Amino acid sequence: MTGENILMAARYPFLPEAREFISRNIDLSLESLEKTGSEAALKRAVERVKNALIFKEVKVTALDELNYVREMLSFPIAIILVSMIMNEYIRRMYALGESRGAYRRMLNESDETLLYIGEKMGIRGVPDNENTIRVKIPTYLKLAYSFHAPHWKLVNRAVNNGYVLMGKTEYARLIQVEVNNYVYEKTLEPVPAEAVPNSFKRAVEEIIEVWNRLETGKASRIPLREREDTPPCIDRIIKRMENGENASHFERLVVATFMIARNRSVGEIIEFFSKQPDYKYSVTKYQVEHLAGIRGGGKKYSVPSCRTILTNGLCYPDEYCKGINHPLRYGERNAAGEPRVS
Amino acid sequence: MVRGMLQASLEFLKREFFKYYYENISRLVPPEPIRNREFGFFLEKGRGMFRHKCFNSLRDFHEFILNEIPLDIYVSAANYEDPGNRNMSEKKLVNAELFFDIDAESVAIVSEEEPAWICQKCGQHSIGLRDGCPSCGSPTELVRLVSERQLKEALRETEKLIRVLTEDFGIAPENMRVFYSGNRGYHVHVNQEDFLNVTGEGRREIVDYLLIQGLDEKELLIFLKRGMSIGSVSLKGVKRRIYARVVEKAGSVEKLRASRRETVLKMLENVVEELKVRIDPVVTIDMHRLMRMPESINSSSGMVKRRIRLEDLPSFNPLEEAIAFGDEETCLKVKIAPRFSLRGRTFGPFKDEEVELPAYAAVYLICKGLGEYAGR
Repeated sequence: MTGENILMAARYPFLPEAREFISRNIDLSLESLEKTGSEAALKRAVERVKNALIFKEVKVTALDELNYVREMLSFPIAIILVSMIMNEYIRRMYALGESRGAYRRMLNESDETLLYIGEKMGIRGVPDNENTIRVKIPTYLKLAYSFHAPHWKLVNRAVNNGYVLMGKTEYARLIQVEVNNYVYEKTLEPVPAEAVPNSFKRAVEEIIEVWNRLETGKASRIPLREREDTPPCIDRIIKRMENGENASHFERLVVATFMIARNRSVGEIIEFFSKQPDYKYSVTKYQVEHLAGIRGGGKKYSVPSCRTILTNGLCYPDEYCKGINHPLRYGERNAAGEPRVS
Repeated sequence: MVRGMLQASLEFLKREFFKYYYENISRLVPPEPIRNREFGFFLEKGRGMFRHKCFNSLRDFHEFILNEIPLDIYVSAANYEDPGNRNMSEKKLVNAELFFDIDAESVAIVSEEEPAWICQKCGQHSIGLRDGCPSCGSPTELVRLVSERQLKEALRETEKLIRVLTEDFGIAPENMRVFYSGNRGYHVHVNQEDFLNVTGEGRREIVDYLLIQGLDEKELLIFLKRGMSIGSVSLKGVKRRIYARVVEKAGSVEKLRASRRETVLKMLENVVEELKVRIDPVVTIDMHRLMRMPESINSSSGMVKRRIRLEDLPSFNPLEEAIAFGDEETCLKVKIAPRFSLRGRTFGPFKDEEVELPAYAAVYLICKGLGEYAGR
């Protein structure tokens, strides 16, 4: 591995190069980790997670890069720490922090390096005209559906012969999503508790402490899903929001009106929305009260119809949707399960 | 599905269906590997679907069909690890073909033939367009049969779909199979490796692209008002087509720039209406969809879901080429039927009469619920 490659592996420790470097040079079994003078790496790993929780971004300085062994090693350790905590929200935040940091750094890379990183992450980009990169449509769809801005919708893209065209920044954004998915999935792998060194357990406590401090004042969450009578479109939005994913304005409207229709109190609804990354109490309260008819003209807003949900791209019908035209009717007509055929 | 009909009619249908399947069974070839697909059947009238069925071999599948003579046969668009499992999530979806359905009804033109009407209350019926029953004033049900012109429109829509799939989505012709659905529309199956794993969300995006839903009109409007060059990088695919068509309608880029914003917006709306591909969105998004089996009989019409080779598309006439049955004279009691054409012959209109029809036309009216078998 050349010097430049090593620095790149330190900057983007999710790349296979970093993994190869570690497996070739360092014994990564949990027992030996404590012995190999990995204290510095452990410290840096804690910093990574804290960065993600506090700043929503893992920063890597030039100095960190020069300390490449520590840097590369800190990434898998951070993942072990996060999976040990087994908290869905921390997992999401960590994955987001790592991917955001990577995105920022990628913006400064040459086209060549960016395409290289993309290729390694399974998002092959082909240089098209000057400043444009082509990505296969299925690859694009897999990653871009999570963005809500209209310009990410396929219908608004330059599409040609199986490819979507985009600028460098947008390509980096797609890679970010994949990094996010990759990190998130890694944190789902279980860690055998008995094999974990004590230093790791202390590190986890440190992270939880930071987490608790950030969470002070936020009330505990109430489960909101009642699977039986929540239509799949709304269930899907709620699930994603529960995991701290950012929802679009329309999605929030659907969920809020649905919860109002199901007689949830304004307080409960605000509490549910508090998990949104851009949550503001006053704004949420105002809007929810407005929808509930407490404010404004006193008009209570109804849940959008199936047709509206469909045109907004949020309809994911299941067997029980057949024959209904409104989400609140879910399950009414099709209890017998008329099959869907064409 | 065949609605309430006399036993004699059903037996006649089953005899005719048997003849068709006996002769054509080798044409019924489900996609490989057959053991990963779910099958569904309507076996008897009025009974629910018999589904979650799977087969280990083509031979088993054919044997089943010849034993049961189903009224309708379906196969899943998806491949499953365990297609026979009755629980949808335990079937374990592996991947799924892209499946598109274009219905003549949604192409928004009505048959040019005069419809028939039946009073929903007193049962009086006749030919013509009537909102209310002349005797009792109750609402009437209009009966229309699909016409050649409607099917032609739907076919044009299908060609539009194929063009977009080819030019924009890069689907290779050999991965695309086009069918007449056997009744009122067309189906397109896409079996291209890289698209098989596109999720429901991704399919939703493909649907929006085809229906031109969620289009950022503001951006296009700016392009149009500025008179941006058509060769511009960001103008590709559907946006380019919309842009070019608006310019064409306006006459020139200069004229367009001189037009009022509202005028351009109106033009834009009209062009979107013209260019969108009218597929049924729900069908494409649903990865668990069951598709009518290619070359099987559609019991809503008695015609076959017929494969159309791409080169034959422009001249394909389903009312000629999707007919499954012979022309032995068959005696039929017809209550009411608007005029219809099959195999180049025109029949009807009929009202309370016993008529001699070729078998294919007799099957058609029975399947439509308009006639009953009265012996040969």
